[in-house]
Amino acid sequence: MIYTTEYSSEITIIRPGVERLTAVNAKAFKDEMTALIDDGSAHLIVDFKDVTFLDSSGLGALVGILKRVGNRGDLAVSGLRPDVEQMFRICRMDRVFTIYNDVETAAQTMSESL
Amino acid sequence: MINRSFHMKNDIEDVDRMVMSLKSVVKDILDSTTMFRFEICLSETLTNSVKHADTHDKEMPIEVTLIETASALVVDVFDPVGAGFFDLRDHAKDLDSVDLMAESGRGLGLIVQCADAVTYGALKGRNRLALDFLKTVT
Repeated sequence: MIYTTEYSSEITIIRPGVERLTAVNAKAFKDEMTALIDDGSAHLIVDFKDVTFLDSSGLGALVGILKRVGNRGDLAVSGLRPDVEQMFRICRMDRVFTIYNDVETAAQTMSESL
Repeated sequence: MINRSFHMKNDIEDVDRMVMSLKSVVKDILDSTTMFRFEICLSETLTNSVKHADTHDKEMPIEVTLIETASALVVDVFDPVGAGFFDLRDHAKDLDSVDLMAESGRGLGLIVQCADAVTYGALKGRNRLALDFLKTVT
């Protein structure tokens, strides 16, 4: 489901691999992300540029992933389309996640902070 | 004016197909902002119906009707036959009160916040959730 790209030895970029991240696939998304974290990836950027819709289950999965990362690293999101960004705002998730316009900016900023 | 009924399987795998079908029917009568709210409400409502409607017969479909009036689109979502009474308005949390780090508990609040009106009760012997979306005056 997810597609991963190594931006550097420390930063991993993830694309969810679905257009709609909903109750249908949120658990699989969380499970795959959790496996990635448990394998040692700690600085993660989830690029939502290909995701057109996100429901509360998808957001819940993302929160669970953030908690899994914990103090070991960082999780940021990028490329939110207007409807997805609106969903983040309605659910106050813009207070929880660091949001970047695009994955390049996210990766550059995260690498400079390491 | 739209006046149509749809049926979906009581199966989480059928929710997205149903939401996309309903969107295609109403695309010409809702503006983009209202369409966004419509999509959230339908996705959360149908997911909630599949996950939590307490019915012993999972083969019974979930019925959705779309009724267009001069001023609004009314979406009726009928609980599957055998499901217990569940008025989501009694359980929905204000989204400001949900723990930011909670992994669940936002769906019902989203429905209440995103629909222009939410009602629930018995209709023709079945329990029905009605979601109203006001049409934009042009």
